[in-house]
Amino acid sequence: MAAKTNNSACAVVHSQRVVSRSVQAKKFGVEVGMRRRQAQALCPDIEISSFQPDRDRRAFNTVVQAVSEIVPLIEVGEPGVIVFAARGPSRYFGGDAPMAEKLMQTLRSSIMTDSQFGVGVADGRLAAHISAHISAQTQTPFLVEPERTKPWLAGQSVRVLGEFAGIDRETISLLERLGLNLLQDVCKLGESVLAGRFGELGVELHRLARGDEQHPLAVVAPPPEQLCSRAFEEPIVDRQTLLNNVQTMADELSRYFAEHGAICVRLILVFASETGERCERLWYRPQGLTTASIVESAKWQIESWQIKAPISGLQLVADEVRTDTARQLKLWGGATQSDETAAQAVGRLTELLGSNSVQVVKWQGGRDLQDAYQFVSVLHSQGAHSEQVATQQKKFLAQSPQRPKSWRGSLPTPSPGVVFADPPEVRVVDKNQNLLGVSARHELSAEPAYLLMGRTKHKIVSWAGPWPIEEKWWDIARSRRLVRLQLVVEKSASPPDGSVAESSEVQAMLVALEHGQWSIVAIYG
Amino acid sequence: MKLSVPKALAVKHSVFEKQVLANFAVSDEVRSVLPESGLVRGRIVRCCGDAAISLALSLCARASQQGSWLGVVGVEHLGISCAVEHGIALERVVFVHPPEASRDWSTTVAAAIDGFDLLIVAVPERLSIADARRVQARLASRRSVMIIVDTAVLSQNSFANNSHPFCADLLLDTKTKNWSGTNNGAGFLQHRQIEIKVSGRRVAREQRHLLTCSH
Repeated sequence: MAAKTNNSACAVVHSQRVVSRSVQAKKFGVEVGMRRRQAQALCPDIEISSFQPDRDRRAFNTVVQAVSEIVPLIEVGEPGVIVFAARGPSRYFGGDAPMAEKLMQTLRSSIMTDSQFGVGVADGRLAAHISAHISAQTQTPFLVEPERTKPWLAGQSVRVLGEFAGIDRETISLLERLGLNLLQDVCKLGESVLAGRFGELGVELHRLARGDEQHPLAVVAPPPEQLCSRAFEEPIVDRQTLLNNVQTMADELSRYFAEHGAICVRLILVFASETGERCERLWYRPQGLTTASIVESAKWQIESWQIKAPISGLQLVADEVRTDTARQLKLWGGATQSDETAAQAVGRLTELLGSNSVQVVKWQGGRDLQDAYQFVSVLHSQGAHSEQVATQQKKFLAQSPQRPKSWRGSLPTPSPGVVFADPPEVRVVDKNQNLLGVSARHELSAEPAYLLMGRTKHKIVSWAGPWPIEEKWWDIARSRRLVRLQLVVEKSASPPDGSVAESSEVQAMLVALEHGQWSIVAIYG
Repeated sequence: MKLSVPKALAVKHSVFEKQVLANFAVSDEVRSVLPESGLVRGRIVRCCGDAAISLALSLCARASQQGSWLGVVGVEHLGISCAVEHGIALERVVFVHPPEASRDWSTTVAAAIDGFDLLIVAVPERLSIADARRVQARLASRRSVMIIVDTAVLSQNSFANNSHPFCADLLLDTKTKNWSGTNNGAGFLQHRQIEIKVSGRRVAREQRHLLTCSH
């Protein structure tokens, strides 16, 4: 996505899996869903960057702006992909080919770096997505005639489902092992057979293979006018006030749809300024737009608009509404009362503090205490879906690899209760006041006797270790070499004259030596 | 139409309600320490001393497994592996980083009290007593339990004993007596002996317990 903005092989990696890769990387055989190691094995020079949706969005804003100058109503599902209905614009430019050419030209002139992008025209979301990717490789627009789309799609490999439709790798590999290599094979099997084997996923697979659009339109009466639009007598300058307004409207709107057993999957957000300018954008989310995601979208839209004039009008138009099937989960998935109140509180806290201050943890593994778990912002972990924190979170934890009982090279349990992000520096000395060192074979130079913390001196009662870590020694920039010691020290500072202090209180801690500097990494608190 | 509820039924109902909102269960290890043998809703427990975090986690563990949500507010250095080893259900833990200012802090904690049954909280130094009292009132009405941890690293204490803004219902002061398992370079830390001094507003007489645990 953002990785596509330069011409070398690069990939975005999230929890050790590739979530996106550049066209160059694809030539080496790097695929979405691959482990990082595999990707690096295929393409040693690959540039790996971490998964940061905010950064991707900012980077993608220029592209969105450029396209929206040509096409009025575009739909941005995720950073990196823009979808729009081609019929109107192509009639204006005189056909699909001239329109696509015009789009390529605009993009080429508007983007600074020589990025790789493509324009594909086809009937249906999946087909258009695939053709855009083909176009990105050839650097020329790729058009599929509307009547030829389905046969063309039938000849594609099932792997495209994993890449463009979010079907997980296990299912794709199972399909391949079953001998279903092309979409037409899947299609031929018949919907009922697939449904019998895969359940709801099977129906989805068949629909994708057919090339049909995702959701049949539901018949829900459009929400009453007062829910969808708001005109401000006193135009709003403050961004937060505006977002609060969006929030209340989105709340009412989603409540309206919830009452009718429906969810809104496509929404047009319209801002009108006092000076008469308008900013319209289409937002699509296949699992349904919730209040949180609408507010997030509004934030993005208003930031990218960069308008100074106060906003005088606001409109939410539900463009596509379908019946809510996901709600059925609760029958057996079981969100309890406390889950619901907790989810509400999470929503409120994110409002108060911003999404980065409200976090959940995710296991990722590692020898070091700080590495073993990773803090993730609540919104990122669940795709801005604050209603179902509990179920989402459970799913999320289930997806991350199971925590093994012990990680090789990690410390023995119990683990320390207080882990410092910025370890305080100390000195560990032997009984002759010499600083302790470690040999090349991780042997201590002497027995530790005292811990010096600033001016105070604590006697070491007993100790264990050392546990060495040698990481990434092949890479000078990232290599780490450290040893860790468990110390039990007397809590009260021992007097300088060396007499024995009357104290029975002790404290256990973990100290580490790295680059010749001892520091307290953690305390058994 | 006005419905009159028979008095006996009303009494029964209120009894029932109290039962529904009973204490949070705690693990067997720490049950003996608590005067009510469980965490009473709407109360403040303050853990201090060197085993504060570990004690707070073991107080929450059983309730967390039984489906309660835990909010960790402002505790910067919590070891997550330690929480897992205590048996905290990580999928129901939310970490909140509140702003430092007194008023903002109390607003944040109040919002967290609304949503989570259990809270592990570190109190900022400059919290005003008025704000603290407001938080305490909210806690009592929402029937959540707030556990305040004071982590004193070695001999540095963040609060003098009398100046704490919160008036804790239960004060658990921990002192590690000794650690076993290490033997001058061999072995590793395994068990420890903690002395817990139980006092506070709701405790008639100060009690001392000696606990051996593996956390």
